[in-house]
Amino acid sequence: MSGALLEIENYSGGFRAETGELTPILHHVSFGLQSGAITAVVGETGSGKSLVALSILGIQPPSFVRRSGRILFRGVDLLGLDDKAMRRLRGAEISMVFQDARAALNPVFTVGRQLADVYQLQHGGGRSAAMKQAIEALRRVSIPEPERRARQYPHEFSGGMAQRAMIAMAALICEPSLLILDEPTTGLDVTIQSDIMELIVGLCRQRGLTTCLITHDLGVVAETCDAVVVMNAGRIVETASAEAIFTRPRDPYTQRLLSASQLVEAAA
Amino acid sequence: MMETGAILQVRGLRKNFTVGGGHHLVAVDGVSLDVAAGETLALVGESGSGKSTVARCIVRLIEPSGGDVAIDGQSILPLEPRRLASVYRRIQMVFQDPNASLNPRMSVRQVLDEPLRLHLDLPRTARTERLHELVEMVGLTAAHLDRYPHELSGGQRQRVGIARAIAVSPDIVILDEPTSSLDVSVRGQILDLLLDLQRRLNLAYLFISHDLQVVQHVADRVAVMYLGGIVETGPTKSVFGAPRHPYTRALLSAAPVAQWGVARTRLRLSGEITSPIDPPDACRLVGRCPLAQPACATAKPALIDIGGDFVVACPVATERIPTC
Repeated sequence: MSGALLEIENYSGGFRAETGELTPILHHVSFGLQSGAITAVVGETGSGKSLVALSILGIQPPSFVRRSGRILFRGVDLLGLDDKAMRRLRGAEISMVFQDARAALNPVFTVGRQLADVYQLQHGGGRSAAMKQAIEALRRVSIPEPERRARQYPHEFSGGMAQRAMIAMAALICEPSLLILDEPTTGLDVTIQSDIMELIVGLCRQRGLTTCLITHDLGVVAETCDAVVVMNAGRIVETASAEAIFTRPRDPYTQRLLSASQLVEAAA
Repeated sequence: MMETGAILQVRGLRKNFTVGGGHHLVAVDGVSLDVAAGETLALVGESGSGKSTVARCIVRLIEPSGGDVAIDGQSILPLEPRRLASVYRRIQMVFQDPNASLNPRMSVRQVLDEPLRLHLDLPRTARTERLHELVEMVGLTAAHLDRYPHELSGGQRQRVGIARAIAVSPDIVILDEPTSSLDVSVRGQILDLLLDLQRRLNLAYLFISHDLQVVQHVADRVAVMYLGGIVETGPTKSVFGAPRHPYTRALLSAAPVAQWGVARTRLRLSGEITSPIDPPDACRLVGRCPLAQPACATAKPALIDIGGDFVVACPVATERIPTC
C-alpha cells in the first residue's frame, strides 16, 4: 500500500457509558485511501462509517474511547497529535463536507463571509481579497450570480446550493490534500444529487484530490468511485476496486447489500 | 384500466396555501388520477412537487381547495368530518416516518386496537383475535403487541404502521414514502411485505415515492408529478422504458444505478425547481426545459392521450419523440 495518503490500521473502540461500561463499536478497522483516488466507505445505519470519518479529523464524540489502532496521514499517527497540531491539519490538509450543509453552515453569517473567513484563516491576506476568493469559489461550483449569493444567509440557499457552497469551502477555499464527504447527497433530490456528484468527481479528478466518500447509497458509488470499503456492524467486511465490488462481490454481506440495493433476490 | 372500475377517483384536485402578502402557493394544481381495485399506482416526484399534499387531501387530513375525490363513485369532499369514519374503513394511510406517526405512549396493542374499536363493532374477544392475526400478517409476533414504539426497530415500526392501516380491511391504502427512512436491506423486506399483503387482500395502493427504483419494482402504473401537476401517466414499463415528458426523462436519467458500467445519457434541466408561489399560466417546466417552444410559455399544456394508457402533458415531446 505504498500509494496510500491515509492509512487506518487496526482501529477499535467503543462508547463509554456514564456507568463506565464500554460498548464496542469499531472492530479492527483497517483500510487505506490511495492518493488521488475516490474511495467509498459504504454501510448501513450504525455500521460505524461516520465514526471512522470523524476519527480521521479527531472530532469523534468525546464518549468514544479508542482501544487500539493508528490513523496514519503521510506516515504520521493523527491519534498521537495534540490539539494544536490537529487544528493545523484540519482544513489545510484534511477537510470535510457534512450531510446537511444548511445545518453545517453558521446561520448568522452570510455564506460569502464564512467562506472568506476560512480563506483568511488558511491563507491570510485582507478581507476584500478573501471575499473575492469566496465569490470565485462559489462561481466555480456553478452557483449562479455568486456576488449576490455571497451576501445571502444559509437559510436563503436551497439544500443543493448550500451543499455546493460547502464543497466550495472544503475543496476550493481550503485546498486540502484529503477531502472527506459524509453522505454529501443524502436528502437531496435525484437530479440535484446527480449534479452534486458530478461536481465532486470533477473537482477531485481535476485537482488530483484524494477523496473519501461516506455513503449508504451504492448507486452513487457505482458511477463515481475507484475503490470501495464495505462496513457492517463496525467491521470492514470487504475492500476492493469498485468494479470488483459490483461485478464479483465476495463477502456475503456485500452480496446482500448489493442485491438489496438493486431490489433483486439475493443469490445466496 | 377502465375508469368505471376505479376504487379511487381524483378529479381536478387543487390545494392553495395563502402565504404572506396575499400571495398563493399552488401546491396541487388540478390533479386527476384513478386507482383500480388491486392495482398499484405510483405517484413520483421530487420534494416540493406536491405528492404528499395530494395524499393528505385525498384523506382530508388537509382540506382541498377544489376538485373532487370519490371512493367507489361516492364523492367524499362534501361529507361532514364526523361522517368520514365510513370513508376511513375503505381508505387508509401509511406514513413515511413511523417514529412520528406512532404515539410513543401507546403500545402496539393500543395502536392496533384503536381502529378496530373506532370502525368495527366487534366484541372484545374478536378484537383480540384480530390483533393476533394482524401482527402475524405483517411478520411480527404476539410478543410485539405489548412493546412500545421505542422498543422496536425502524422496520418493525413500519410493520406496525402497515398493520394499523390494514386493520379495518380497507380497499385502498395510501403509502406515503413508506420505505424512505429505512436502510436498503430493510426496504426490500417491507416492499416484499406490501406486495404479499396486496396479493392476499386484493389491496389497491397509491404509492407515493421519490425512489424510482422502488417504484419500478412495485407499481403497475406511474404518475409523475412536477410542481403540483401530473406531467405524465402510463404503465410502469412504458414510463421507465420510453419516458416522454422532458421532466420524466430528466428525472429518470439522473437516478443512479447500483450496477457497474451503466452508461447514462442525462437530459439536463437548467436551474432548480421554480417557485410554486403565484405560478404563471404556462408549462411548469418552461425556463428549465431544453425542448421548450415559445408556445410553452403562453399556456399550460393539456394532458394528451397518446394511446397505450399513456398520457403526457407536453405537445412538443409527443410530436418529436418516435415510439421507442
